[in-house]
Amino acid sequence: MSGEILSIILRRIAVAIPLMLLVSVLVFIVLRLIPADPVAMSMPPNATNEDIEALRREMGLHLPIMHQYGIWLGHILEGDLGRSIAFGQPVSKLIGESLPATIELAAFGALFATAIGLPGGILLFRLRGRPSEQAVDVGSTLMMSIPEFLWALFLILVFGVALNLLPFAGRLPPDMTIPRLTGFLLLDCLLTGNLTAFLEAIRHMLLPALALALGTVPLIMRLLRSSLLDVIGEDYVTMARLRGVPERRVINRHALRNALLPTLSLMGVQFGFLFGGTLLVEVIYSYPGLGNLMVEAVRNTDLPIIQGAALIFALAVLTINLAVDVVYIVVNPKLRRAR
Amino acid sequence: MRRRTLIAGLAVGAAAVLAAAPPLAPQAKAAKDSVVIAWQVDPQTWDPNKRTVPVRQSLYKMVYDQLITQAPDIKLEASLATKWSQSADGKTVTLDIRDNAYWHDGTKVTSADVKYTFLERGKAKHKIDLVRIWRNVADIETPTPTRAVIKLNKPMATAIPWLAFLANFVVPKHHVEKVGADGFADKPMGSGPYKVVDYQRNSRIVLEAFDKYWGPKPKIRKVTVLIMKDPSARVAAVQSGRVDFAPDVPIREVGRLDKMAALSGRIFPISRVILLQIRSDKAFADKNVRLAAHHAIDKKSISQALYAGKAVPLSIVAPPGTPGYVKDFQFPYDPAKSKALLAKSGFSTDKPLKIGMASFNGNFPGDYDIARAVVSMWKKVGIEANLQVIEYSKYFELNRGNKLPEATLYSWDNAVGDPEMFTGYLMHPKLPFSAWKDMDVGGRVMKLFGIVDYDKRIQGYKDVAVYASKQGAVMPLLQSVTTWVHKSNLGVVQYNNGWVLPHKWSWK
Repeated sequence: MSGEILSIILRRIAVAIPLMLLVSVLVFIVLRLIPADPVAMSMPPNATNEDIEALRREMGLHLPIMHQYGIWLGHILEGDLGRSIAFGQPVSKLIGESLPATIELAAFGALFATAIGLPGGILLFRLRGRPSEQAVDVGSTLMMSIPEFLWALFLILVFGVALNLLPFAGRLPPDMTIPRLTGFLLLDCLLTGNLTAFLEAIRHMLLPALALALGTVPLIMRLLRSSLLDVIGEDYVTMARLRGVPERRVINRHALRNALLPTLSLMGVQFGFLFGGTLLVEVIYSYPGLGNLMVEAVRNTDLPIIQGAALIFALAVLTINLAVDVVYIVVNPKLRRAR
Repeated sequence: MRRRTLIAGLAVGAAAVLAAAPPLAPQAKAAKDSVVIAWQVDPQTWDPNKRTVPVRQSLYKMVYDQLITQAPDIKLEASLATKWSQSADGKTVTLDIRDNAYWHDGTKVTSADVKYTFLERGKAKHKIDLVRIWRNVADIETPTPTRAVIKLNKPMATAIPWLAFLANFVVPKHHVEKVGADGFADKPMGSGPYKVVDYQRNSRIVLEAFDKYWGPKPKIRKVTVLIMKDPSARVAAVQSGRVDFAPDVPIREVGRLDKMAALSGRIFPISRVILLQIRSDKAFADKNVRLAAHHAIDKKSISQALYAGKAVPLSIVAPPGTPGYVKDFQFPYDPAKSKALLAKSGFSTDKPLKIGMASFNGNFPGDYDIARAVVSMWKKVGIEANLQVIEYSKYFELNRGNKLPEATLYSWDNAVGDPEMFTGYLMHPKLPFSAWKDMDVGGRVMKLFGIVDYDKRIQGYKDVAVYASKQGAVMPLLQSVTTWVHKSNLGVVQYNNGWVLPHKWSWK
C-alpha cells in the first residue's frame, strides 16, 4: 500500500508543478493588468512625479510584464518571494508569521464541519420521509445560503454581545501573552506548559472556526444523506438486516463506511475552500492569519504579498487534495486494487 | 432573490439582537490603570519614518516622539525640541533638544539621533518616506547634544509644520544601527510614553508605560490595542464592554451607543476635508459650468443626512481652526444661480450637460453616499453625471495618466492644518495629488511654495484658496468628522486632528 501511496504522491507532485506555474503566471499577469498604482498611493503628500517614477523604476514596475515575471520567478526559485510594498518586509517572513494561525483556524473549522456535518447527515437520512425532514432541510439550506462573513458577524452578535459568552477578538485575552515558539498558538501554549492559555486560545477560536464551518456543514450533511440512500439498497445492507442486525448498527457499521467515501472526497474540496474562507473571517475576528494579511495586501495593492499569498493558498489546496486522495486510498481497498 | 432575502432577514435579525443586547457586562470592567482600544488598522511597520499614512500616526505617537507636537487645538507645541526657529531665507532650521528625554533602553536622546533620522538614514539607503520629505537636507550640524541645525539646499517654507507631521518621528541611532532597518520594523524602540511589549501583526499590540518618559507620567499604565478592522466588530466590542474605546464607529451607531448609560459617543470635525477635485479641461473647461456645479451642491443637507450635521460645510479647502481658513468667504448653495450659469453655456434640465464623476466606496465614511447625493443635486439643475466607483489605488493610476473624469470625490487629511498641505499639494499642477492642471490658479499656488515669511505665506494661501473657489478650480464640500465611542468613565482628550493619545487619558 505504501508503494501505491508514494506513486500517487509523485503523480500529484508532477501535476502540481505545471499547475503552480500556471497559477503564478495568471496571478502575476492579472495583477499587472489591473489599473492601479501601488507606488503613488504609498507616497508622502509632498512627493513629486519624479519621486514616483524613481520608485517605480526601483521596483522594476517600468519593465515589460513578462520581464517582470521572469525576475519574480527567478527569485521564487531561490526562495525569495520579494518585499512587501506596504510592510517593507520580506513577503516570505510575513507569510511565515501568518500561516500557522490560518492553518490552526482552518483545521479547527474542518473539525467543526466534520463534527457537525457527519451526525447531521445521518440525522437527515434517519428523518427521511418524516415531516421533520423538511425542517432540517430548510435549516441546512439557510446555513448554506449565508456567507462566512455574515455568519461571523451573526455569531459575534449572539455569543459575543447578546449572551456575552465568548471572546471575538484575537487569539488570547488582552492580559495574556505567550512567547512565539512555533507560531501555532495551541502548540506554543502546550510547549510553555500554560494550560490556562491553551483553554483561552480554544475559546477564542470557537467563534471564527464555527463561522468557517457553518457553510460547509450542509454540503456534508446532504451528500452523506444521498450516499446513504444509495448504499442502503445494496445487497450487503439487506443481508445485514435479514441477519437481524439492529438498524442503528446497519447504518453505522455497514452503510456508513461506504457512504463516507464520496463525502470524504467532497470534504477535501470543501476544506480547500474553507482555507480561502479565512480571508474575511480573520479580519472580523482580528485573527493574525494569512487571510487577514491578504485582505490588507489587496487594500494596499501590495502586489508582492498578493502574489505570494495566492501561491500559498494554491499550494494549500493542492496539498489538501493530495491528503484526501491518500486517505481515500487508505480507507478504500477496492480503489487500491483498481490502481 | 431567496438568498438576498435570507441575508437581509439575517441582517435585520442581527440588528434586533444587537439592539436588544444587554448593556456592558460586569466582567468587562477595566482596571483603573489600563485601557483596551479597538483600533481600525495595523501599524504594518514599527519604523515610524517608513510611511505617511494618517490613521497610523496615533499608534506611532504612543511609542515615539516628534521634535514638535500639537496641542488639542492643533497648535504646534514643544516635544523633543523645546525651541525651534527658521532663518529668513528658509534654509536653516535650528532646534534645541530637551536633555531629559530617554530611549526605552534608558539611553539619552541627543541631537545625533536627530541627524541620524533626518539625514543619515537617507544616506544609508533606508527605504523610508522621510527621505523623500526631507530630500533637500544638505547637512545637519550637531554642535552640542542638545542642538541640531538642519541645513537645507533649498528654502522649505513648511519645514516647521512638517516636523510635527506624518512620519516625522525621531528614531534611536544606536538601536537602528544595531538591529538594522528591517530589524527596527520588528523591534521598535522610541522615547514616547509607552514601550511595545507585545505585537501580533493584524491582531493586537500591548504597550506599557515608560517610567523615564520626559512628559507627565501616564495615568494609563497599560494599553492593549486590538486591531479590529471591521466596524461592526468594533461596535460589538465596545457594546459588550470588551474594549474601552473604539474609534471610527459608523455614525448611526454612535447615537445608539451614546444612549447607553455606560457609554459615551462623540462625532466631531477634524482637520480633514472632503472635496471634489476638478479637471481644468473637458466639459469643465467652461468656468460657468464649474461654478454652476458648485452652486448646485447643498452641503448642509449632505452633512445633516450623513454626518448628523457635524461635518462643517466648506467654501475653501481649509477648515475652521486652521491657519488658512477664511471666515468671511462663503460660496453659497444657490440652485437658481446654478441654472442661470448653465443656461449661459447652453445647458438646462432639458438639455443636460454630461460629465463623468469618480468616487470611492468605503475609503472614507459616507464617500459613495456623498457622491450619489451630489449626482442627484446636479441632475436637478441640468448636469448629468455618470458616477464611476474607483479603488483608491486606481485613483492614482488615473490621475497619473490624466484620465480622471471631470470631478472626483476625494478626502484629504492634514493633521497640522498648514495651508500648503491643503491648497498647496492639492492645487499644485505639477504634484501627483492635484487633478487641476491649469496654470492660472496653478501658477499662483506654485509661487507660494517659495515664500518663507509666515504671515505673507498664510495670507497668500488664503487669497489663492478663495480665488480657486471663485474660479471653480476646486469644490470644497465638508470638513470631515471622526467618531469615538468609549466608556463613560474614561476621560479622553479630544484632538482636533483626530489623534488618539491614551497617555493623556485617565479613568474617572
